Amino acid sequence: MKESVGLGKNSQLGLTTLLTFAILALAWFVGFASRLFAIVRFESIIHEFDPWFNYRATHHMVQNGFYNFLNWFDERAWYPLGRIVGGTVYPGLMVTSGLIHWILDGLNFHVHIREICVFLAPTFSGLTAIATYFLTKELWSPGAGLFAACFIAITPGYTSRSVAGSYDNEGIAIFALQFTYFLWVKSLKTGSVTWAALCALSYFYMVSAWGGYVFIINLIPLHALALIIMGRYSSRLFVSYTTFYCLATILSMQIPFVGFQPVRTSEHMPAFGIFGLLQIVAAMHYARTRITRQQFLTLFVGGLTVVGGLAVVVYFALVWGGYVAPFSGRFYSLWDTGYAKIHIPIIASVSEHQPTTWVSFFFDLHITAAVFPVGLWYCIKKVNDERVFIILYAVSAVYFAGVMVRLMLTLTPAVCVLSGIAFSYTYEKYLKDDEKVPGSTGSTKSGEPRTYDKPGKSKPSSSESDDQVSVNVKTFVSVLLLIFLLMFVVHATYVTSNAYSHPSVVLQTASGNGDRLIMDDFREAYHWLRENTADEARVMSWWDYGYQIAGMANRTTLVDNNTWNNSHIALVGKAMSSNESAAYEIMRALDVDYILVIFGGVIGYSGDDINKFLWMVRIAQGEHPKDIREENYFTESGEYSVGAQASEIMLNCLMYKMSYYRFAETRVGYNQPAGFDRTRGYVIGKKDVTLDYIEEAYTTENWLVRIYKLKDLPNRPQIKPADLTVPFRGKRVAKGKNKKGILLQNESVKGKKAEAV
Amino acid sequence: MSWLLPVALAVLASSCFADRVLVLTENLGIRDTHSIYLGSIKDRGHQVLVRTADDASLALFKHGELIYEHLIILAPGVQAFGGSLSPKEISKFVDAGGNVLVAGSSKIGEAIRDLAVENGFEFDESNTAVIDHFNFDSSLDTGDHTTIVVGKDQLINAQLIVGDTTKIRPVLFKGVALIKDPSNHLALDIVTAASTSYSHVPGQIAENVAVAGKKTLLVAGLQARNNARIVFTGSVDMFSDAYFNAFATSANPARTAERGVATGNAALVSAITQWVLKENGVLRVKNVEHHRVGESQPPPREYTIMEDVEYAIEIEELKNGKWVPFLGKDVQLEFVRIDPFVRTTLQNKNGRLSSQFKIPDVYGVYKFSVDYRRVGYTHLLDVRQMSVRPLWHTQYERFIRSAYPYYASSFSMMAGVVLFSIAFLYHKDSAKVSVEAAKKKH
Repeated sequence: MKESVGLGKNSQLGLTTLLTFAILALAWFVGFASRLFAIVRFESIIHEFDPWFNYRATHHMVQNGFYNFLNWFDERAWYPLGRIVGGTVYPGLMVTSGLIHWILDGLNFHVHIREICVFLAPTFSGLTAIATYFLTKELWSPGAGLFAACFIAITPGYTSRSVAGSYDNEGIAIFALQFTYFLWVKSLKTGSVTWAALCALSYFYMVSAWGGYVFIINLIPLHALALIIMGRYSSRLFVSYTTFYCLATILSMQIPFVGFQPVRTSEHMPAFGIFGLLQIVAAMHYARTRITRQQFLTLFVGGLTVVGGLAVVVYFALVWGGYVAPFSGRFYSLWDTGYAKIHIPIIASVSEHQPTTWVSFFFDLHITAAVFPVGLWYCIKKVNDERVFIILYAVSAVYFAGVMVRLMLTLTPAVCVLSGIAFSYTYEKYLKDDEKVPGSTGSTKSGEPRTYDKPGKSKPSSSESDDQVSVNVKTFVSVLLLIFLLMFVVHATYVTSNAYSHPSVVLQTASGNGDRLIMDDFREAYHWLRENTADEARVMSWWDYGYQIAGMANRTTLVDNNTWNNSHIALVGKAMSSNESAAYEIMRALDVDYILVIFGGVIGYSGDDINKFLWMVRIAQGEHPKDIREENYFTESGEYSVGAQASEIMLNCLMYKMSYYRFAETRVGYNQPAGFDRTRGYVIGKKDVTLDYIEEAYTTENWLVRIYKLKDLPNRPQIKPADLTVPFRGKRVAKGKNKKGILLQNESVKGKKAEAV
Repeated sequence: MSWLLPVALAVLASSCFADRVLVLTENLGIRDTHSIYLGSIKDRGHQVLVRTADDASLALFKHGELIYEHLIILAPGVQAFGGSLSPKEISKFVDAGGNVLVAGSSKIGEAIRDLAVENGFEFDESNTAVIDHFNFDSSLDTGDHTTIVVGKDQLINAQLIVGDTTKIRPVLFKGVALIKDPSNHLALDIVTAASTSYSHVPGQIAENVAVAGKKTLLVAGLQARNNARIVFTGSVDMFSDAYFNAFATSANPARTAERGVATGNAALVSAITQWVLKENGVLRVKNVEHHRVGESQPPPREYTIMEDVEYAIEIEELKNGKWVPFLGKDVQLEFVRIDPFVRTTLQNKNGRLSSQFKIPDVYGVYKFSVDYRRVGYTHLLDVRQMSVRPLWHTQYERFIRSAYPYYASSFSMMAGVVLFSIAFLYHKDSAKVSVEAAKKKH
């Protein structure tokens, strides 16, 4: 492809290689650096919720070795059920950091495992950029690859899950995803068993890292099916797919969490079906050259109908017989966005499972969201085997990203690849044989790595019969696109810095005069728990905070973010939404010692438990419909409120009491009435909250975290004054020291005794 | 002198309790009127200190420590205690583990009533008395039918508290009524009134009687959750020498057995006092061990599912001041994870109660729980938490018999691939020839 432009061919190649290396290295560096905002602003700390568990698990693995980790029975989670960590976790993340730690240790670089965990995702973002370069190179051209690599290095949609401290599966899984796709495309192009086997290996790494591997094992068969239907069947497809499928299935079954799912669940059945179909198609192709057309048609129609019908019947028989699990609720919720809310509230309750707003497409992808359809169009126009793949990838990912905010992450790589193609193709066209523009781009002072690949020296004019465009238009378009790219960089940096670099363990606000105020209530509370409670104390909280309590406070939790047991979560939800005495019975049965609630009414933090409370009620109602009814928690006009109109049940439930206990004693602002809730924006319904069965143990500085302690049963059954059968007549005498007592002047006792004697 | 017998027995049996007992009275004359009762406590070895209830120097705590183990209040007419004492203070004493015996009478003071309320009981108002027009004592009663003869059927069926109910003789009672609050789940109805009795001011015509029938309690008690014991009785006269030495004659013609016999007051009061002073029915756990069958130490971290486990608990009972092996045969062990997965009765071998069982095939955090509650005994609770983990990845069966066909098929396929490869690589020509030959034959 590369033509010499006045230079020798070897030096041209050398220059191209050098440029490629430099650009990729810079992409890596910029991607890494832009993810460090959180560390610069705060500190080297693990973020959010799930990363805390990953960190805790990694720490355990590094301390106790891999086999102890694989067989780790965590008695501090899901009390009293416990959790087998090895069998319920994707270990790829932990193993990766453990391996890095081990290698660094071997080289005598002694780094604390936490630092490795914090910096893992930014490091892998560079690898993702390289994998994306290779993928795009296979799909289109090296120039497009460089564009795509630069895009993915800084695109906010990917940065959101891979800033320093965000130690989560997605951080390494996107790399594995892109690399697997690259190897798949490569193996499809070459038809080589080696590449297909490597693809299966990469897939194995993906399976070990993230549950999103299901996307791969459905997308690749879809690609194969599309190729067959388009009449693009080839022996290369047959070799690469069959090799990939067999090896990938066997390898993925080696992950304990996945186990027999690849052969026993409906989500994996399409891959198997395509595997069978490929055999038939291959047999047909073999037969077509050897038998007459008439025979072939009979065989084709008859055989395909019989086999297809048989496959469907067998599948349903297996599902009916329980050998193959039907599609799970999570699968249905991808097609019907209202499904989860009705049937699996626990999934719908997670904010990142909500449908995406169009704003976040722009927010996360910026100019690439607008440009990638162009790339898609180029791919459709110049379709070949591997471009069918990126088309399918983009179309399905766009759909899924629209269903769930979280799946924006899978869309981002596709968008980057296609945008890279679009930009590269456009520049190839508009910078062709143009000496001016390279100079002008070189003179821009952006300093971004991607400005260097704009010249397109390496991307010469392919033999396109372009319609002639004037030089001015070319310049104009090139400069305009360049401005777009610069704006993308600015936007990406801005979003990364402002939206995605918050640890959420530490909150930050601005004071009136613009100073930064750090609110460290979470760590304050967890530290209090760690220092002031018994080692085996059991802390009940809503599941969102389970991992943090385990990770930071090192205390036993009842439920956590690994929401595997819905009924146990429902039990906690029931305790939170019952009145105090009913909740006390549940908590006694679960041996709860402390209860932790998040309350944002003082500082106006909207992610608190009162705002999540309806989900607790819904989840509890799912399991205990007789005791908990969602409508009981609404006002008469059917609104969710804790204000004056709130229902009695709402005002007496444990969650309300724990949130607003002693709240009316404080004033959130000097011109606000007592009991004014800043998050909700009105005065609460019941101000004199009294607690009988629990007592306040700790409340953090900004009231963000409140910890309550379960009281023991009363030692003695005291009678309340209201329940007395015989009322008191005399005055109760106040307590005092060294006072003289008062006796009834009681002469008759003596007299009667005398009589009795 | 039939009362001498139990007292003498008590003296013989035990003189080794060395607890400090504070007795509060209205006047120190009670040393004479209740000399037998107070003497019996002293004879069992306790240090008895008698003070008047209005003494300004009274105290139960010194530097936060208990000064006395037990408190006996034979002063019904206390309106306000002297010193630092108060119903709240006495409740604090109970919460700190002290035991309290309180006697009331018709002239009952508000402080005593308040103390009862603190513990889930209520004394009736001052000047009222338990009246029974059927079961009064025909010889001792003064005409308002307040001196009541209590039969043994009115006693609680608990030998540890009231002694041997089959042998007990009729008991004389004269005093105020007690009722318990419905929410008082710990209450023990030690002596219940007869169905014909009621509580009212003697001599007045009874209207709207609030306390009547079997709801009326004469002696009631409870064991607090910290095992402190509290007993209330409506009659301080029960404890008097006069009643100890009297002869009971029930006016009820149906109760011929209760005519002209020496009272059982001494025996009953002695038994109740011994129970309150923790001389009876006190259990403790000496040692608990659990381990896999065939081992002697528990595993360091956790058990594995389906293991055989041996559990043993050594329980001791306080008898006559000495800890001796507990011989009860109805102690049960529960292996609990929210619900009990195993519940088994422990085999008692001279105070060592043990059992063997198989851990269920369910992993989780379990508790070995012995929760022994019997009326009269202290609450014995021993909980040991232990995790039960699933099998290690190395602990599963390596080869399963039913899988041999699959092993065979995989190995045969491997052999087949090798053979096919050899055939494909090295016998291509001959294979072609044979195909051609086959075609020719057709």
